[in-house]
Amino acid sequence: MNSTAKVLPAILVVEDEPLIRMEAVDMIEDAGFRVYDAANADAALVLMELHEDIGILFTDIDMPGSMDGMELATHVRNVWPPVAIVIASGKVDFADMQVPEGSTFFPKPYPTEKIAPILEHIVDRLKISSPPLNKPHD
Amino acid sequence: MTDRDVSSGTHVPPAELTATVAILAPRGRDAAVAAQLLQEANLPVVVAETLDHLANLLADQVGAVLVTEEALSSPGTDRLTDVLDIQPPWSDIPFIVLANQGVGRRSDAAVARIDTLRNATLLSRPLHAEELVRAVTSALNARARQHDARRYVEKLELRERQLQDSEAKFHAIADAVDQMIWSTQPDGFHDYYNQRWYDFTGVPEGCTDGDAWNGMFHPDDQERAWGAWRESLKTGQPYEIEYRLKHKSGKYRWVLGRAQPMRDMSGNITRWYGSCTDIHDIKVAQEQRQLMLGEMNHRVKNTLAMVHAMVSQTLRQADTLDDARIAIQSRISMMSAAHDRLVKSTWTETQIAEVVEAALIPHRTGLGRIGVTGPNLPIGSKQALALTMALHELATNATKYGALSTDQGRIDIAWHVSQEDADAGFAFSWRESGGPEVMTPTRRGFGSRMIERALAGYFTGAAELAYNRGGLTFNLTAPLSGLTV
Repeated sequence: MNSTAKVLPAILVVEDEPLIRMEAVDMIEDAGFRVYDAANADAALVLMELHEDIGILFTDIDMPGSMDGMELATHVRNVWPPVAIVIASGKVDFADMQVPEGSTFFPKPYPTEKIAPILEHIVDRLKISSPPLNKPHD
Repeated sequence: MTDRDVSSGTHVPPAELTATVAILAPRGRDAAVAAQLLQEANLPVVVAETLDHLANLLADQVGAVLVTEEALSSPGTDRLTDVLDIQPPWSDIPFIVLANQGVGRRSDAAVARIDTLRNATLLSRPLHAEELVRAVTSALNARARQHDARRYVEKLELRERQLQDSEAKFHAIADAVDQMIWSTQPDGFHDYYNQRWYDFTGVPEGCTDGDAWNGMFHPDDQERAWGAWRESLKTGQPYEIEYRLKHKSGKYRWVLGRAQPMRDMSGNITRWYGSCTDIHDIKVAQEQRQLMLGEMNHRVKNTLAMVHAMVSQTLRQADTLDDARIAIQSRISMMSAAHDRLVKSTWTETQIAEVVEAALIPHRTGLGRIGVTGPNLPIGSKQALALTMALHELATNATKYGALSTDQGRIDIAWHVSQEDADAGFAFSWRESGGPEVMTPTRRGFGSRMIERALAGYFTGAAELAYNRGGLTFNLTAPLSGLTV
């Protein structure tokens, strides 16, 4: 994939609550991004492998399955270092959590009007790094 | 009078008698002469008529005895020796024996008779007044000293008894209270633990003396407890700390440790007294409450997030603000009613037939236009809420545009279960018929999007809306496990 100024990276939304996932997908699509979605970490990792255009991981923290959102974020950071990470949580004590460095945090429910500008800001930052965005790190 | 009576002090002889000399001189005038001489010297005297009488006076703790040697050889001395034998340890009644006149050498028997008196002095006759008075005075004084010694011993004994009583009382209290109690020397050396400590820890008595108590603490708490204790020893400030103490079962239990110093008149610490209270159950209950609050918080947040998603979606797709207001109110009421039913059941599960009935109640006309068939099945809380929302959207749509918007239309709802088909063991359908001709909508509203995109997710299955001309149909297929995941 070529990095031209007009091409936005795809975003992978990971959220176990279908209604909230649907809302997150709509919201991010409205901001002009291509969106993939997964209900858990295992499905998310399959999508990460399949789609090289994923540039941002947008994940909830509390999720059932083999990994929660925090573990998924850490794993993605290790395997695909260039992928930006956005973490959303309803938890208030976010400051105490071990989040991968450089992650962005959103409280839940999502602050709709802030999502688009923040995602665009992340995209600007990503452009400094070289594509493809999610090429595995050896 | 017995030994026990004297030492216990229940029978104290009259003061006069203990300072009185008894005289036994049955023959001749010796008794009368001696009595007169002694009375002239202001010494109290009692004259005994017989050996038996004298024995009674001895038993009553007479001060001293003046007796003639010949009186001792008369029959009845056995009782006298009996009384002397049972004297309490402090008592040794002094005897002054008026020797027989003209005795060159005493027979062995005569010597033995005098020896049985134990504390006997011989005084020769004829009586010499000064000798007699001095001998008796000295005997009475010695006897008074014996009583002084008795009183002193009794006082010491009383003190010891009081100390024992007080210690017994302390142990009774210390071992009866629910807490473990301990005490240390001023430098913090542990030298006392109550029975509760040993009951709790199960360690042999004495093995936690000194500093060994720290080994009973959870390894993660040892350093912290040491630090706090050292700080208290240094500053004299009360010690208070929560830590895990090893129970005899091998498990650690949370206890609250507290200690206070005891000081002398000049403010120096003489001892430390401490206690450990088992607060494990309270601590665990606190943790459970915290966990429960966390779970409640999570559910409330999740519910609010769902409401947020619903409102956001409704607003995005509504034509007018009025439409959005009505839709939001009706959707929130429906979600609230669905929650009520979950709370009334076990919260985690409810029955599918109840969920379907409850969702349809607001739309029933009483004309039997909605048919429902299907077995009753347990269904999870999330699936129940999602199904309620979907049915609400379908029924609202049917009332506005579909089968329930005319007099002839009807809706048939059916679900069934198939044990053979693992991936689609549960099938649910909604069929409208007899309504106006159905047109495929040009734009998807919240209801159809929710049904097509979210509902299937809750059941980990597939959902499909079909805009057939004769009537709208909706099908949901899911694995049986999807009903309660």
